[in-house]
Parts: sequence; C-alpha cells; structure tokens
Amino acid sequence: MVSRIEFSVNGRKTVFSGNPLTRLIDVLREDLSLTGVKEGCGEGECGACSVIKDGRLVTSCIIPVGAVNGSEILTIEGIRDTDKGRCLVDAFAEGGAVQCGFCIPGMVMAAYALLSSNPNPSEEDIRRGISGNICRCTGYDLIVESIKLAVRKGGDLWA
Amino acid sequence: MGMTYIPSTLSEALHLRAETGARPLAGGTDMMVQSKRGIGLAPEFPYPVMIISGLEELRGITKHEDGSVEIGALASPAEIAASDIVPWHVRMAAAGMGAVALRNSATIGGNIGNASPKGDLPQPLILLDADVILVSLRGETKMKLDDFILGSKKTALKDDEIIRSVIIPPHEFTYSFYRKIGMRRANAISKLSLSAAAVVRDGEILDFRAASGASGPKVIRSYSAEAIIRGRRVEDIPEVLDGFLEAWNAAISPHAMPQYRRNTTRRMLSHFLSSIHDGAEAGIIS
Ligand SMILES: Cc1cc2nc3c(=O)[nH]c(=O)nc-3n(C[C@H](O)[C@H](O)[C@H](O)COP(=O)(O)OP(=O)(O)OC[C@H]3O[C@@H](n4cnc5c(N)ncnc54)[C@H](O)[C@@H]3O)c2cc1C
Ligand code: FES
Ligand code: FES
Repeated sequence: MVSRIEFSVNGRKTVFSGNPLTRLIDVLREDLSLTGVKEGCGEGECGACSVIKDGRLVTSCIIPVGAVNGSEILTIEGIRDTDKGRCLVDAFAEGGAVQCGFCIPGMVMAAYALLSSNPNPSEEDIRRGISGNICRCTGYDLIVESIKLAVRKGGDLWA
Repeated sequence: MGMTYIPSTLSEALHLRAETGARPLAGGTDMMVQSKRGIGLAPEFPYPVMIISGLEELRGITKHEDGSVEIGALASPAEIAASDIVPWHVRMAAAGMGAVALRNSATIGGNIGNASPKGDLPQPLILLDADVILVSLRGETKMKLDDFILGSKKTALKDDEIIRSVIIPPHEFTYSFYRKIGMRRANAISKLSLSAAAVVRDGEILDFRAASGASGPKVIRSYSAEAIIRGRRVEDIPEVLDGFLEAWNAAISPHAMPQYRRNTTRRMLSHFLSSIHDGAEAGIIS
C-alpha cells in the first residue's frame, strides 16, 4: 500500500502525504507555486492545465495526485529554460501566437509533446496535436504557424 | 466521505475490494469529472475509492498463440491506437476518443466500467465478440462483454471484482467499416457510431456483423438481423437489403435516436453492403 506519494516535478523530488484524490493541478499551483499551469474548465476539455507525465501530455485538472506516484511531471516552468522550450516560446512570440496568453502554457506543452514524438509534423498533425487545447483569442492559425516556425528553427533539436 | 487507498499489487487491491468495497479509479477521467467540486477542492465520493493506476498486473497488450489479443484494463486509448496487434475496429475507436491528453489518461477498463452508452470502445469490442476477464479473491471469471454491460451505466461487476482485461478472439474479415459521428471536434462525445464487418469467400457471405454505438442504453448488436445477410450470396444482397435494414432499425430502441440518426445508420449499413455487392476491393470500406 502506498501512503506517501513520491514523484518528481521538473526534476525535483516531491513527497505528498495528504488526500490522494487532491487534483494534480492543485498540488502544482498551490503547494509548488507552479502557476504557469492554468485552470480553465476543470473538466479535461480545454487543455489549459496540460502537463507532461512520463513523457505524455495529460490534463492535470482530472488526475488525482495519487495516480502520479513514481511519475515524472514536467510543467511549463520546467521546459521553458531548456533548448526545446526556449525554441517554442521564442517561436510563439515571433509568430504572434499570443494574445491574452491564458491558453499558451498548455499550448506550448502540447506542442512540446507533439514535436518530441514527431519532429516533422504535417499541418494536420499539428492541428490534431493541439486539438484538445482551446484558445478563445487567436483562431489557432498563428499558433499553428508558430509551431511550424519552431520546427524550422529547431531543426535537429527535435530529431 | 469514504477512505482512499493506493494498492501496490493486484492482490492487495483484491483484498481491499473484498474487505472495503472500494471502487477502482483507473484514469479518473470519468470519476474525477463526475465528482468534481471546483478549484482547490478534491473530488469527494460517498464510498471508498482505490487508485489502481499503478498496478502492473493490469497493463500491457499481448497476442496469444491462438491469435486472440488480450488488452489489460489499464491500457490507454493512445496505447491501443498505436498497437499493431490490436484489431483495426478497436484501434479506430481508440484513435477517435477525446484529444491527445484524454487518450493518454483514459483506460479501456474505465470505458467499460463506466458503461456509458456513448463510450466508444464497447461498440467495436462487442462487434468482435470480446470477452471481459473479471478477477476477485474467489478467482477469475470470463464473460462476453455484451452480457457484462447490462444497460446505461450498468454492468454485471460484482462488489469484490476488478476488470483485469479484455480478450478479443481471432478473426479475419474480408471487409471492415467503422465510423464515429461527432469526430470533427476534439473531445467530442459520440452522437452515433457504427462498426460492420463481413467475411466473403467465393461469393458467399460466411460472416456478417454490425454494432451501433450511442444508439440506445447499450451497444446494439442484432444477431437476428445479421442472420438475414449471413449465408447469402453476394449477388442476393439487393434482394435482402431492405429486410435487413428494417430489422436493424427495429433493433434500435424506439426512443433513443432521432430520425436523422436512424437515417444515417441506415445509409452507412446500406453503403457497406452495396459496396460488397458491387465487388469492392477487399479491405476497409470508407
Ligand atoms: C474531455 C473528455 C473527453 C472524453 N471523450 C471521450 C470519447 O471521445 N469517447 C469515450 O468513450 N469517452 C470519452 N470520455 C470519457 C472517459 O474518458 C472514458 O470513459 C474513459 O475510458 C474512462 O476511463 P478511466 O480509466 O478514466 O475511468 P475512471 O474514471 O477511472 O473509471 C470509470 C468507471 O469505471 C470503473 N473502473 C475503472 N477501471 C476499472 C477496473 N479495472 N475494474 C473495474 N471497474 C473499473 C470505475 O470504478 C468507474 O466506475 C471523455 C472524458 C473527458 C473528460
Ligand atoms: S482546466 Fe484542465 S482541461 Fe480545462
Ligand atoms: S491567447 Fe487568449 S486564450 Fe489563447
């Protein structure tokens, strides 16, 4: 039986011994002050709370912390200072992908997960890869263009 | 509010289940949403819960010697869609679920356990005559998934049982069809789905099946309607088509579907059978 939930967040060991049904997003935002993780719908539908769990994109608002025992979690704070993360963040800025910015951390995480498994995505792949992330501002085209830009500029980074 | 447990082994989970009746939470994508309370608040359940996502015994997808494929209860739609040993109809249904993140978190065991009429995986699994394997301290039971799902949100799961896996018997279809309507938008719940398959040899239809999802309290498979087609010759299809379509329409529960969805189902079934009649190349009918 597991009584202490141990996992890593952005490479740092974390131990949680409260209610295992606590939503992962609340642990990240409240306990660890990782406020780049946004809450939109709280129901898995908008992608604002997206993080990467053991290499895969998940929505942290519907995952109980008890389900991440032994996992490695990456948030926007953990990737933005890596080469890949910087490449994406710069491309989003250069490509004019950001308006209010609320959806952007989730979008960047979705793009990061996509390019890490598919370094050379088609436009269709990109649209599918971010299809779980809702943006109320941009109409998506500039976000898609910015991800293409990250592919071109990143080159070998994604291979 | 009930206790929450995190068992480390299946055996521990089975003891917990027998002693406390704790309900399994796998991906949590149904349970966490159904019991959500808002920002900063953990969901609350009126019964004890056990988080089973760490149980290795419920993982993995394997092909057995007899050609059957076993999918562990914790397999995600992403793993299922990417597996080349999983039958095509099931991969299609898995690939059409939710969006990327949902496909990484949801599980096949949860999709079956939740037994929503709109759940996408039971439909192709029932088409393929899949069995579900249930385990408890009493031992292991094998049951047809079509019998396990009793109705909307109702299953035959006993208080001490856990779904261990799903087993799909081997099959080799000449023609296959799958469609989910509601697939355009990501994270869209099925409005309607249909699978069909046929085995044709020397002009004879040796096997024919169809399954409708989101069309009633549970997946619809009409063995009597299928029998109208099975055993016929391909050139006889025009003769029996209307009778079959009528029988299928009658099998769909009376109030479950508005007329336009019935018409869509009818058109898809008619298209599948007409393509076979017109000598379509073996494979997937799109
Ligand atoms: C944004 C969003 C989009 C969605 N889109 C789709 C979609 O397109 N298609 C679709 O079909 N569904 C969809 N769903 C619903 C849901 O994701 C699926 O039903 C999923 O397969 C449930 O799996 P889970 O492991 O997350 O279930 P959980 O919430 O963990 O459990 C669901 C039920 O199954 C029981 N259970 C789980 N595992 C077991 C087991 N091993 N043994 C016994 N009982 C068990 C639980 O006790 C509970 O009653 C969506 C949900 C969300 C939030
Ligand atoms: S806040 Fe998690 S998906 Fe919307
Ligand atoms: S930039 Fe405002 S929601 Fe996307």
